[in-house]
Amino acid sequence: MKERNNKIDFREKKDQLIAKLLSKYPSLFRKWVHHSKFIEFSDSPWTQFDSDISKCRLALVTTGGVHLMSQKPFNMKDPAGDPTFREIPVDTLPADLTITHNYYDHADADKDVNIVFPIERVKELKQSGEIGDVNYRHFSFMGHIMHHHIKTLMKETAPQVAAALKSDKVNIVILTPA
Amino acid sequence: MGLIQRAVEAAGIATISISLSREISQKVLPPRAVYPGFPLGHPIAFPGETFRQKQVLRLLLKYLKKIDSPGTIAELDLTESDDHSVIRDISAFN
Repeated sequence: MKERNNKIDFREKKDQLIAKLLSKYPSLFRKWVHHSKFIEFSDSPWTQFDSDISKCRLALVTTGGVHLMSQKPFNMKDPAGDPTFREIPVDTLPADLTITHNYYDHADADKDVNIVFPIERVKELKQSGEIGDVNYRHFSFMGHIMHHHIKTLMKETAPQVAAALKSDKVNIVILTPA
Repeated sequence: MGLIQRAVEAAGIATISISLSREISQKVLPPRAVYPGFPLGHPIAFPGETFRQKQVLRLLLKYLKKIDSPGTIAELDLTESDDHSVIRDISAFN
């Protein structure tokens, strides 16, 4: 058991080191992308948008691994990632948030969570009347989702979030990767 | 993240995202995306840059209206010459 835990610790440290290198060197990140496999599509879903933005309700979805400190952290022990999500209430203070994500360097986002989850900025856009409303809840995933977890994301967790946002009568969703 | 965006758009909500990789976005084809040229971990610019963060959001809202063809990735260069020093600083490895 101890040996297994050591292996997991080593792999997590390796993931964090690779993340720092990919974040630090954009050219290395581009090479990594080029040699990685992604699901490919030939078309996109489409919802026509011709509303008055100043009357719209907006929600955020991030894959930056953001969550409340009181919530269960994303699973860093599974090499295939974690397809679950966390719901973040709109009145959450940045000090109550943390990031669990070993696949990008979040040192800067730890200093200011708005660079991956711009919750304070969208509230300011509401105050200035540029958007109509900020939804009462937002959603966060951990963007490292591979192998069998992709099916769970596509068939279960992403549609669950989409349905929740639809039931909240959200008109605009801004998504931020990390 | 494009997979989640596709699910939300398919549910009937207009979406727009930041792309940190043109190559990934060209494969996953999110309905609407803006590629700002920011590095990994910085979709909405850099820590403490509140005005610039808000400007990035305003640009996203502008392109939400402007993009009229599914799968469009608007390529903008929002970077400044001293941006990368933030992450190239050796302290990132401490």
